[in-house]
Amino acid sequence: MFKLMKYEFRKTWITKLILLGITAAAEAAFLFNLYTDKEDGLAASIGILTVLAIFGVLFIGLQSVITLHRDMNTKQGYMLFMTPNSCYKVLGAKVLENGLSILVTGGFFFALGALDITLLFAKQGQLNQIWQMIQDFIKTINEEIPLTADALAAFTFSLLADWISIVVTAYLADVISAALLNGKSFNGVISFVIFLALNWAFGWLLGIATRSIPNVVTSMLVQGGISLLIAAVMYVLTAQIMEKKLSV
Amino acid sequence: MLESKEVTKTFGAKTAVDHISLKLEKGHVYAMLGPNGSGKTTWMKLAAGLLKPTYGMVCFNGEQVSIESRKHVAYMSTEPYFYTWMTVKDVGKYYQDFFEDFSYDRYLKLLKQMELTEKLKTKALSSGMMAKLKIAVTMARDAQAYMLDEPFNGIDLLARDEIRACILSYATEDKLLLLSSHLVEEMEAIADRAVFISEGRLVECVDLEEMRTRQGVSMADRYRQIYGHTEG
Repeated sequence: MFKLMKYEFRKTWITKLILLGITAAAEAAFLFNLYTDKEDGLAASIGILTVLAIFGVLFIGLQSVITLHRDMNTKQGYMLFMTPNSCYKVLGAKVLENGLSILVTGGFFFALGALDITLLFAKQGQLNQIWQMIQDFIKTINEEIPLTADALAAFTFSLLADWISIVVTAYLADVISAALLNGKSFNGVISFVIFLALNWAFGWLLGIATRSIPNVVTSMLVQGGISLLIAAVMYVLTAQIMEKKLSV
Repeated sequence: MLESKEVTKTFGAKTAVDHISLKLEKGHVYAMLGPNGSGKTTWMKLAAGLLKPTYGMVCFNGEQVSIESRKHVAYMSTEPYFYTWMTVKDVGKYYQDFFEDFSYDRYLKLLKQMELTEKLKTKALSSGMMAKLKIAVTMARDAQAYMLDEPFNGIDLLARDEIRACILSYATEDKLLLLSSHLVEEMEAIADRAVFISEGRLVECVDLEEMRTRQGVSMADRYRQIYGHTEG
């Protein structure tokens, strides 16, 4: 499994390196603007870092779906499927490598954000203004989240877990398209509709499961846990279809 | 060793392999022959476990092809299939990581023989060099069965001699070699048995020596007899 994960990482490490490089440049711009008191530049670099954090995590998941699609639909897939590894292992390596990449990237941006906010406080000392800015940003995503470290960590975890479950559901839709609907008309449309329907159903399920939990932090942790459970179920189902029906 | 039981593979309305039943035994070099689109490549992919049969099954040593059979069957696809980010060295390391029977030393020896260097990037290889690399990495395995799909495609005459010698060095009593090719005369010098396929169906599987002595017919003659009217 570790060897498969190693090669999954090798397939995507260049884009991850590019993301890291752009983030380093944006962080350098943030620090430069902070210590030279250039407010316009500071706001722009904060904006860029925020966009990088969101789209970086989203892109890593999307790239993983594209890689699976390529492995199933091009001759390069022989490299993977002619090795003596079951589809459970092959897909498991993809899920684990991508899940870890999403969690590490999300954790990295969370830590970087915390560090930058601390530096901002230390340098400018305008607590109220900065605090308000962060609160406004968080409220645009979810109004009920209190601005405490544990709530933000739980919120980050639930978002990342939710994204992992969406990515694994996309794997399932792609595998259905390649293994069960291959050669049939509208197979891309049908698998996309399956993907949307499953995500809608999971969203509904999460809503019901967390509705009665009064504590926001607990609710987000439960939501994250259920999302990971959904990802696990989707993984087993996807691997089973691959094992029985997939021709590459 | 390798047995095909009523194997059928359809792609939509097209039947690529149609109820092929066939037994291939160790200690022989088989030539799989047939015109383009006759089902040779599809059958090999079914035997390699890359394609799932619509009906029937392929067995290796009595068991349906699976993860276990992939440990002992070395398959070489006719299409280039290496990841584009790989160098020749990466390809060897990849095989070493996944196939217990792979020998890196043998791989280096074969690379030298094929005049390839480890630093070359696979995406920069010409079709001839790619064909040589595929042969080198496949034959560096000490497998029980080798299935080579069009191993001489894109290879010049001199390199072909080297590849033929390399393949023949593996033709021992405990191994099975199955090669497909359009170069019938080329195959006649390597194979001792031939499998003729036409329109997805098995025409016959013959012992070449027996055919020559009993019927006075060479493999090329038999090929002309079977396909002459279709290739016309």
